[in-house]
Amino acid sequence: MSTQTALIKRLEGLDQMPTIPVVLGPLLRYLEQPLEHLEVQQVVDLISQDKSLAAQCLHMANSPLFGRWQAVDNLRSAVVALGLQRMRDIAISCSVLTLLPKEKTNVDPVVFWEHSLGCALVCRQFARKINFPNPGKAYLAGLLHDIGIVAHLWIVPTEFAAALEMARSRHVPLHEVEAEHLGLTHCETGKIVGERWHLTPDLVAVLGCHHYVDRAANDRDLVALVSLSDLLCRMSGLGYGYIEERQVNFTEEPGFTLLVQECPSLQTFDWARFTFELEAYMEEVHRMVSLLYRSE
Amino acid sequence: MSSPAPFRTSDATAGPPNPHLVQIRDLVYRVAGIFQPDNKLRLLEDRCGRRMQALAVTSLREYYECLTIKPIRQAEMVALLNEITIGETCFFRNQPQLDALRNIVLPRIIEARAKLPLRHLRVWSAGCSTGEEPYTLSMMFLEETAAKLKGWTFEVMATDLNERSVAHAKHGIYGDYSTRNLTPYYRQKYFIARAEGLQVNAEVKAHVNFNRVNLLDDARVAFMKGVDLVLCCNVLIYFDVMSKRRVIQHFYNNLLAHGYLFLGHSESLYGVSEDFRLVHLPSATAYVKAEKRQVAPQVKT
Repeated sequence: MSTQTALIKRLEGLDQMPTIPVVLGPLLRYLEQPLEHLEVQQVVDLISQDKSLAAQCLHMANSPLFGRWQAVDNLRSAVVALGLQRMRDIAISCSVLTLLPKEKTNVDPVVFWEHSLGCALVCRQFARKINFPNPGKAYLAGLLHDIGIVAHLWIVPTEFAAALEMARSRHVPLHEVEAEHLGLTHCETGKIVGERWHLTPDLVAVLGCHHYVDRAANDRDLVALVSLSDLLCRMSGLGYGYIEERQVNFTEEPGFTLLVQECPSLQTFDWARFTFELEAYMEEVHRMVSLLYRSE
Repeated sequence: MSSPAPFRTSDATAGPPNPHLVQIRDLVYRVAGIFQPDNKLRLLEDRCGRRMQALAVTSLREYYECLTIKPIRQAEMVALLNEITIGETCFFRNQPQLDALRNIVLPRIIEARAKLPLRHLRVWSAGCSTGEEPYTLSMMFLEETAAKLKGWTFEVMATDLNERSVAHAKHGIYGDYSTRNLTPYYRQKYFIARAEGLQVNAEVKAHVNFNRVNLLDDARVAFMKGVDLVLCCNVLIYFDVMSKRRVIQHFYNNLLAHGYLFLGHSESLYGVSEDFRLVHLPSATAYVKAEKRQVAPQVKT
């Protein structure tokens, strides 16, 4: 049996991988309602059901990256100050942090979540700068884009660890080594996870195609936006904990060609300035993720 | 679980950035092409504070006016840029840039150069100040002579407008501040201890040629041909747009087809030139030549 076939077979038993916290489903469904129907206390009550989630939300709510400059010390103040949309982003971010297996692997959870959270923030900021229609969706897509890696860590930890080690020693992108040695990448796995979690089709497209934007059958602009943001993070020291030794011209990336059709302002986008702005993000992301991990 | 203690970041206690400081940051980027990210705003505020003290100005709003509408605005911008870039000169100043140069750019140049008859690397440190940058390059390439540059020769052309800086560079003696990033390995291998500090040894010096050159002197600059790599860090920020374009045009004409241009940390050519394309390297950026025909630099009228 080939590695790929064996892996797909094991993926069918994905039940061993935890799903997102129980409270998140009702919370997200509640926040999908029109704004005028929402009550702050209801949101506070829902988040408070999970004490760990509540504590982490509060930590994150105090970060300048979420627009907060005065400290808040209770959930109600955080929800009032930040708004429901941001609280939704924060709740989702904190929820996914619990998904990695506890067993020690060669994937440092802090590094992994720094990349995911960094990518989420970059996606949202990038979306705003180029007038992409839904920055909130971009954030979510950035946060979840590598969920296939989490699945690999649950299902094929040894094989994945070997692939990561090889990518690290060769300084090449992880998905290239996964394709070579596992027979499939965290994109294919992410797509399976996304479908099993009943994520929306646009998110499934991102999970499945962020390294192969041309393969996306739907929501190609969102896939392209995440693909470019992910690459920018990896080139700016917010990757998987190792340096990819390569040279990238963003205007020659397949994601750029796709996204520029939807967002013409990308044609004159100041990539240099956006890259320099990331410096501030990185510092804050490092601080935030390490604080969240300490508070677990 | 008890309720969590309130969490504060250093920024949370400081409050949001002063909007006039953000205006100054954006103005500096627009005029000079050097960007101060949010995590460096406090440093920028400190630099502005020094200038405000010198001008007896009490608010950032008033200082912003000094930089924009008052008659002293041009001179003041230069003074602020001096504050921003102060103390940036030292050996191995920008390690990610040097790593990218060594691991990615150098192999690409070597590959492209291999098609040419002469195995010779030619690098130009434009605006080399007191020489730390060209000597760093010389040491780095010497380290590669047993590996990537085996069988190759190399030279670093180092130019600066300031005669005293060039004289200092040729002398090659440096104090603690300039040498703070040097590892014991480099200190021992490439420096001689003197009473005044560390002196670059003859081997390193042999590969570096210092000259006093004004980058706007078309006749002088036109002779710096056949270059593989130009480093021009924190120099263009002092030029107006037209002058920047002239200098960039010279770089374009003097670089070989595979040539690279490196600027200073957080420095950009956005809105200044279409002659080069931005490329991303690990934790660094650089510029490569865009495909276009060679043209004469625009002469100032």
